[in-house]
Amino acid sequence: MNPRHARSPLVALGLAMVASACSDKPYPATAPDGAEGPRRGGQCVVGALADVSTFNEYQSAGDSYELQLMELLFPSLMVEQPDFELHPPSFAPSLATSWEFSQDNRVITFHLRPDARWTDGVPVTANDVRFTYLVQKDERIGAPGLEIKDYITDVEVKDAHTVAFHFSRVYPYQLMDANDGHIIPEHAWGKVPMDKWRATDFEEILVTSGPFRVAAHNPQQTLILERDPAWWGAPRPYLDRLVLRVIPDIASQLAQLVAGEIHLVEVVPPREAGRIRDHTELELVEYPSRRWGFVAWNNRRAPFTDRRVRKALSLAVNRKALVDSVYFGHARLAVGPVLSSMWAFNRNLAPLPYDLAQARALLAEAGWRDSDGDGILDRGGKPFVFDLAYPSANSLRADMAVIIQADLARVGVVCRPQQVEYAALLARLDAGQFDASISAWAEATKVDLTAPWTTPSDTQGTSNFMGYSNPEVDRLIAAAREEADYARAKVLLDRIQEIIVDDQPVTFIYEANDLVGISRRIRGADFNALSTFFNIDEWYWGP
Amino acid sequence: MARWALRRAAAGGVLLWLVATLTFALVSLAPGDVASRLSDARISPAVRERWRHDFGLDRPLASRYASWLGSALSGDLGSSWTHHRPVTAVLAESIPNTALLASLGLLLEIAGGVAFALAQLRRPHGTADRFITVVTLTAYALPTFLVALGLLYVFSYSLHWLPSSHLLSPAGELATGWAKTRDLLAHLVLPVLTVGIAGMGAVARYLRGSLLDERTQGYVVAARARGCSETRALLTHALPNAMLPLITMIGLSLPFLVSGSLVIEVVFSWPGMGQAMYAAALARDVPLLMGGTLVATLAVVVGNALADLAYAAVDPRVRV
Repeated sequence: MNPRHARSPLVALGLAMVASACSDKPYPATAPDGAEGPRRGGQCVVGALADVSTFNEYQSAGDSYELQLMELLFPSLMVEQPDFELHPPSFAPSLATSWEFSQDNRVITFHLRPDARWTDGVPVTANDVRFTYLVQKDERIGAPGLEIKDYITDVEVKDAHTVAFHFSRVYPYQLMDANDGHIIPEHAWGKVPMDKWRATDFEEILVTSGPFRVAAHNPQQTLILERDPAWWGAPRPYLDRLVLRVIPDIASQLAQLVAGEIHLVEVVPPREAGRIRDHTELELVEYPSRRWGFVAWNNRRAPFTDRRVRKALSLAVNRKALVDSVYFGHARLAVGPVLSSMWAFNRNLAPLPYDLAQARALLAEAGWRDSDGDGILDRGGKPFVFDLAYPSANSLRADMAVIIQADLARVGVVCRPQQVEYAALLARLDAGQFDASISAWAEATKVDLTAPWTTPSDTQGTSNFMGYSNPEVDRLIAAAREEADYARAKVLLDRIQEIIVDDQPVTFIYEANDLVGISRRIRGADFNALSTFFNIDEWYWGP
Repeated sequence: MARWALRRAAAGGVLLWLVATLTFALVSLAPGDVASRLSDARISPAVRERWRHDFGLDRPLASRYASWLGSALSGDLGSSWTHHRPVTAVLAESIPNTALLASLGLLLEIAGGVAFALAQLRRPHGTADRFITVVTLTAYALPTFLVALGLLYVFSYSLHWLPSSHLLSPAGELATGWAKTRDLLAHLVLPVLTVGIAGMGAVARYLRGSLLDERTQGYVVAARARGCSETRALLTHALPNAMLPLITMIGLSLPFLVSGSLVIEVVFSWPGMGQAMYAAALARDVPLLMGGTLVATLAVVVGNALADLAYAAVDPRVRV
């Protein structure tokens, strides 16, 4: 899995035209009124639940919201396209205008734009690309995407604008792995010794090269980005400024959106969607996100070691009713380990039905019966009671826990919802000290099932805190990973999905939609599950 | 006086050490650490271990405590694990914002409280007194967030008179001089009102009580007998003495100047210490939490000492 393409469900963004103080009218567009189509000018204010913690993504924890912003400030070799529904993602030129594979496919050579410049006027060169690679691989820095570059053995500077990536093997995601992470300035940041990176404030030596540059930053408050006139994509972006406002409370973000003080909220809670949709000056944009949620069973702890028990519990939860009542129709039922919006999804699979009879039969088969007539299943004199942990400060999951509790009571299983502080919960999951937990993941656009679904070891199954282990799945995942032809990989992936759905190491619950509330004054915005700002350079302030 | 100062300083030092040690233990023993919290669940264990090692989390608690204490004693609070900057730099950004809001709020609280109490004392137990009692008790009892939301609803979302959040508007961020100051002042009104209203009720209730006591004291009666007007007797004779309990109140409010209020800061997107410490606690950012705790504890120590000094200055019966 590629964490750098993941996004945290805790992060929200808001975007808006500025209405400063309260008396000021929104910032006037510089183009004449009445003209149709994109035009230059205007200032866009982006609200955020938290400030950026650093401008150096290799120093951070790989927060996806920060990465969305770094995309506006730092160049990439290529731009990943939002076409992961059809096939593995394709790429469009960016800093690299073209690229070619060597005969044996082990070397990719990129040709860089000669006109790209950092904000201090220094050209962006192949040296920066190599420097970025060295940083990504350096143990002392411990960048979050370290292992993504595992199969890249070297990045060779051919000349100032030509750079070659050498791979130790041929595999389907070579382009994606080469492209991962933004290019950073060697001439400015290469002076900092790598063992000092953790505690260095890179804002003090910040140079950028993107559609926007930093105009002002008042920490925990406001980050003002302004159009970089030297950017190679000129005349775009059309907006003069993009301003990030830190508004930690989502209710305040919505209030300001409705009041016209901000004009875009990235994560509208499902409950509030109707209010935004019905507002005449706002638009609600909805599309499948890459976030999905599940009940993780501790596969190492009885009775969840038994496949029949896990499956029975899944069958006993009315997941359709749960998703409809918690997400108000803004989510779909999850099926299996691959998102239904991905090319690799096995379209022959359907969500498990809600089937109390079958659930009861499976539980009975596993030896769980109500022998003392108290309405609670028991086995060997022990009642079926378990704790269902979920993070505090997450009302959606609290609602889910209560519904699951009520559903399971119908088959005689006692589920005790247990709210745990987030960091404490993660520590518990890591240590395997839990029965069950309501968890959520953001899926990468790279389909690699190794980290979540293979048997945990030092190198594999690194996010498989459930402790799921099936040798057949391990073998198939390794094979799918090696397979360079994606049609052949798809056959393997289909089979893996069938097995995992049958094993139910987790109860697959929902695939959430992203709900974006945006002012109708902002035109040209086209959101997708890669980034809210995917086409920010085409946004403009409408007439 | 010198001995008193020495004694207070020593006691303050011991208190600081106790609080710091206790906080360090609590924060370190809490489940989870910065590496588990910071990372996406999918960041590889190797990277997480690297973070733990860099922050010394793989060392025993006692050794971590010793090195923290050693650095702190030499004046180095270390570097924040989440901000990637010195703790002092993060505190230096947050404390002024909190202090600005809290000090203006405190002034409003005192001014408003005194005004209300004096108005009530014009005719104790009269209609005005009773009415104000209801108002001040209500203000005292209302939860802060409710006051904040009410003010926001009326002045920001309904009337559009005042901005709803932040220190400055985006335009104000880029402005200079008077335009920037004006922008800041506009943004201060609602948060300061919220702080002020919450405290005003308490001040008024306290002061009314002690003024009622004072005005029947012999020296006030004597003043009236000498022909002093009721207002003058109240203002120049009773009030200074009645203010004494307030000194303690204000001294105890001093920590609030640096620790901030999470509720108010969240509602108004105000980047102060409340938010900074809350985020640090969630992220298990030990150096930042320790730094913030030290500063807040220091404020308690200094606040109490100042209150004692002020007491001694206004009340000759008290000696330090």
